[in-house]
Amino acid sequence: MSGSGYRIAADIGGTFTDIACLSADGRLVTRKVPSTPADYATAIIEAMSDLGQAEGGVRFDEVLHASTVATNAILEGKGAKTALITTEGFRDVLELRRIRVPRLYEPLYEKPAPLVPRRHRFELPERLDAQGNVLKALDETALEALIDHIAGLDIEAVAVCFLHSHVNPVHERMVGERLRMRLPDHFISLSCEVLPEIREYERTSTTVANAYIGPPVARYLRSLSARLKEAGQDGRLSMMQSSGGVQQIETIIAKPATVVESGPAAGVVGAARMGARAGYDNIITFDMGGTTAKAAMVEGGRISSTSEYEVGGGISLSAGLVKGGGYALKLPVIDVSEVGAGGGSMVRIDAAGALKVGPQSAGSAPGPLCYDQGGEAATVTDANVVLGYLNQDALAGGSVPIRSDLSRAEFEGKIAPHLGTDLHEAAFGVHKLANVTMMRAVKAVSTYRGRDPRDFTLFCFGGNGGVHGAMIARELEMSRVVVPPAAGVYSAVGLLFADFEATRSRAFLGLLDAETAPRAEALLREMEAEVLDELDVEAPEVRWSADLRYAGQAFELQIDLPRGDLAGHLDAVREAFEAEHRRSYGHLLEGAIQIVNLRVLGAVAPQTPDQMTLEERSPPAEGTIRPVYFGALGLHDTPVLRRHALTEAPMQGPAIIEEYEGTTVVPPDATVFRDAFDNIVIDFVKGAGA
Amino acid sequence: MSIQTDPILLEVLKNGFEAIADEMALILMRTAHSPIVRDAMDYSTALCNARGETIAQGVTTPMHLGSFYDAMNFLVQHFAGDIHPGDVFIGNDPYLIQGQHLPDIYVIEPIFAEGEIQAWATTIAHHADVGGLVPGSNSIGATEIHQEGLRLPFLKLLDKGKENDTVMQIVAANVRVPDQVIGDLRAQMAAARAGRQGFEALLNRYGAAQISHYAEALQDQAEVFSRKAIEAIPDGTYSFVDHIDGLGEDPQPIELHLKLTVRGSEITADWTGTSPQVKGGINAPLSFCKSNVYAALRSIMPEEVPNCHGYTRPITVTAPPGTLVSCTYPAPCGARGITGYRIIDCIFGALAEALPDKIAADNTGGSTLPSFGGQVGGKPFVFSECVMGVWGATSQHDGQSGVPHMGSNQSNVPIEMIEADYPLRIERYGFVADTGGAGEFRGGVSIQREWRALAGDTYFGVRSDKVYHPPHGLFGGAEGKPAFTEIEAGHALRSIPPLATRAETLGEGDLVRHRMAGGGGYGDPLRRDPTRVAEDVLDGLVSPDAAREAYGVVLTEAGPDLAATEELRARLRAAATQ
Repeated sequence: MSGSGYRIAADIGGTFTDIACLSADGRLVTRKVPSTPADYATAIIEAMSDLGQAEGGVRFDEVLHASTVATNAILEGKGAKTALITTEGFRDVLELRRIRVPRLYEPLYEKPAPLVPRRHRFELPERLDAQGNVLKALDETALEALIDHIAGLDIEAVAVCFLHSHVNPVHERMVGERLRMRLPDHFISLSCEVLPEIREYERTSTTVANAYIGPPVARYLRSLSARLKEAGQDGRLSMMQSSGGVQQIETIIAKPATVVESGPAAGVVGAARMGARAGYDNIITFDMGGTTAKAAMVEGGRISSTSEYEVGGGISLSAGLVKGGGYALKLPVIDVSEVGAGGGSMVRIDAAGALKVGPQSAGSAPGPLCYDQGGEAATVTDANVVLGYLNQDALAGGSVPIRSDLSRAEFEGKIAPHLGTDLHEAAFGVHKLANVTMMRAVKAVSTYRGRDPRDFTLFCFGGNGGVHGAMIARELEMSRVVVPPAAGVYSAVGLLFADFEATRSRAFLGLLDAETAPRAEALLREMEAEVLDELDVEAPEVRWSADLRYAGQAFELQIDLPRGDLAGHLDAVREAFEAEHRRSYGHLLEGAIQIVNLRVLGAVAPQTPDQMTLEERSPPAEGTIRPVYFGALGLHDTPVLRRHALTEAPMQGPAIIEEYEGTTVVPPDATVFRDAFDNIVIDFVKGAGA
Repeated sequence: MSIQTDPILLEVLKNGFEAIADEMALILMRTAHSPIVRDAMDYSTALCNARGETIAQGVTTPMHLGSFYDAMNFLVQHFAGDIHPGDVFIGNDPYLIQGQHLPDIYVIEPIFAEGEIQAWATTIAHHADVGGLVPGSNSIGATEIHQEGLRLPFLKLLDKGKENDTVMQIVAANVRVPDQVIGDLRAQMAAARAGRQGFEALLNRYGAAQISHYAEALQDQAEVFSRKAIEAIPDGTYSFVDHIDGLGEDPQPIELHLKLTVRGSEITADWTGTSPQVKGGINAPLSFCKSNVYAALRSIMPEEVPNCHGYTRPITVTAPPGTLVSCTYPAPCGARGITGYRIIDCIFGALAEALPDKIAADNTGGSTLPSFGGQVGGKPFVFSECVMGVWGATSQHDGQSGVPHMGSNQSNVPIEMIEADYPLRIERYGFVADTGGAGEFRGGVSIQREWRALAGDTYFGVRSDKVYHPPHGLFGGAEGKPAFTEIEAGHALRSIPPLATRAETLGEGDLVRHRMAGGGGYGDPLRRDPTRVAEDVLDGLVSPDAAREAYGVVLTEAGPDLAATEELRARLRAAATQ
């Protein structure tokens, strides 16, 4: 491909847009700019011209982006007016959900409103059995009458989900064909195309969510594409999917439900790729921002994913157990565990007099007390200021001035007296409680799945990842912490390294045995052909996998399959399943193994430079020292350094590394060095836990 | 040695305990085999201290919240001196071990440090079948516990790490679906093991003395919370009487009498006056009664109260032995869940006047529990599920439909899974118009579910309620529509009593139709916002006739006619006061 060699990525959030731009020779330039909600393209185009001008005008070969557009449509109830068509007798499946509610002991609980109100949920006479046999043919007269009715309503999108359509889509396809012919301007979402998997509520909900966000996502992407072209940028525009791969926008427009978690996914992808380059194959990512903290796992270079996901479910400590707060969306998504703790998390004293941190957040407005913008409660950031972890005068490389005296006054006057301790102990308590909550996110992706965090490196990013990462690692007895360059805009960096991916999944009910293997293999080949067709490049990496379980269980484990010859490797697949079952749950069972879903993934890695250098902005003055408190390890005069002051020779802590993108805290009982890829690497000596 | 309580470390360890209990719950769910455990999540996990008091409980089934203590207390005393590392205990019997009912099997593992028991990793799960009269082991028609299935005192399932195959074989031989039951027991063992390992890690990190000190401090903290919440209820005695429809073909109402007394920070629930225990499987042992009183009171407390035993300290439960809520041997109790739901509903009923903004109008009375069983291709099958649920309205919003009862946060079973695994076809699952009690806020609408038997000679039994005593409204709200169950066999239709004591047999193609009761309304229906009534009509939840008759709302094509509505409402008010 001939081009300028420049690629640019943008992670568009509600408040800030993070930009990362990479040249063919490895220069990485980042920006954090306010988002432009009226037209999100504006922030990207301005940053492009700003960055391009320095190079004398650049046409970017590729524009990658992640965005909260899909999630926000659901959270804010601003999706398309959608209709749903179901099998006769089942229009309420969507609203009945799985019954369980996310809050116990709450008599005043109110369920989230369904994305399609009952008046727009319609039934058609038709019925299949569980094997896909037609019990009752689709009533085509009723279908035409229904389409007439929908045409007269103020409806933009139509979702269709019939019982057992994952086994036999015949009726759904008939309905889809007629809808597309007669309502060409409507967005049509068929469950057999969106999620051909068993469980009618989850399939209906996913299909409906896809329809609901379809029109706004299409409008957003088409407008973004047009604005970039107007600005002379006609490089390929692609978008991050929740699964961690990027796709061109036309594919996304057809199946927009794949992008709901695009921002968080990008950060994890960045960690996996950059971690692998530097030799860290087993990592737990720790992404801490202002309101929430997230963790994910990368094992042997592979990112763990899940399909147990709800959009808009809120943040919960008991994720996985408490469901029903959001909208089920069962598409592959990176398994990100999220808790309500971040820099803006507020400190309060509860009814029993105990100290609580979060989940309420002061956000970026009014923000922490030290922002002096009307904040009323101390936050985790205020505690970090009191402890000396953060700069006492300004944050973000001097661009955000702060008043550390406001933080100190609150801890001195209120929190410390309540706890009966001194200023530093009180602030350290808040810091520690935030860590405790965030450790549950780390555990949810590791110990809850039979993994020992001590076997992993903690890879920290997000605005506050480096501030809390080392203390969390020490609590979990993890021996190594890595803070990569540009950690504060890491989702943007991750986008630049993500594979271009196409995926397919199909329900397949059968046992893992010699009899069914050829049938599974034939289906996998068919899916592979579709994937190759969609990618349309030479020799992509192709992976087959299956969701397996012991016959009788209800939850599956995703296991890789040998590509091409399943029948010849049944024993190996069985062994891999058993190894994973033992690992995740601690025991094995006897009996048959059932195949539930088959999956094919095709991936193409981007062309990226081997080395990358980050443009450094506003480093701290040399020789800066400030007092920093480390709990039981005491108050230390601590050097404040720039990343490049570190070398490959390990230096004993304590140390603070201040950068435009964030701060890294190195405790006194750890060493720190900078590796060949400019990562900050913090090591704890084994057995030195405090 | 005395240890000072550091409030920060207390919070740290509280989180640590809760994380372990949740991890246990996740492992149990993911490895279980029966639909009632893996899909409906009718199970609980907890960590208990050495005395057997709950320290932390996984976020699963509220009704189980107080269910560990009495059994654990018995276990600790009974086996004192004979508990060793590597032991795992199994048991289920309400009379032999202070258990819940026979389908609820405990699997419990002690946690040791420094040669002493420090804590217990405990699990309880509702098993698909434990033998007895009927598939699912919840016969309403049982007259004594010996008809209800396999009774297990506490036995060692693992003895110093060695599995007791004899116990496993006895269990397998006495249940109708051994694969599911043994599979679920293994899931419980895996969860208990994970709980033990997690707790051992905490013991290594902080030391046994410190852990036990903080586990105690947590109990004290919960007690403080609990007392503050009770102090917020005005002192006084609040009484309530509720009913269960009654047993069999000629049901006689079974009464529950509650006197709730609030004095300062203490509360007493006295069940004197409640009907004697009955010759049917719905009797509740006192341990289960206490569990439900705790769960109901927990729900009027702030969310942050730790789920540990300490919060129950200011709560006293008394019930005369031999009554429905404190049954004695040999009363059967396989289907006692319904009595638990009613115990919770009574607490809410009593507190409605004192806490009008915290209590909803009456709900659909818990889950309906249909059971199907028989043979397909020479293999036995058992299928039961929990059909839920409808709530009454509150002072702030309409009653919810498609929610669990407060006592049991369970899921439905996907229709596609049922049809793939059992000779049943679901023909309808949805809402029914004009069933929610009218009110300024409307009660939740009924849910109807229909099952068609695809195999002949299929057993059918059902536990339901609220046919003769529909959910009551509050503060002028109307009651919800009653429940019913019927069987359609060809052109013949027969009605099934709410608590059927006689087994029904379904022929191939017979249809079972069940409708839950609608929720009670809250406040005067003539005060309901006419726009909301119009929305309900558009959504098919209220008919135009009911809009006019129950709500006094006159509708036109364009929406409510406000002037005509005012006029009609004035007439209806005048008629009501005459």
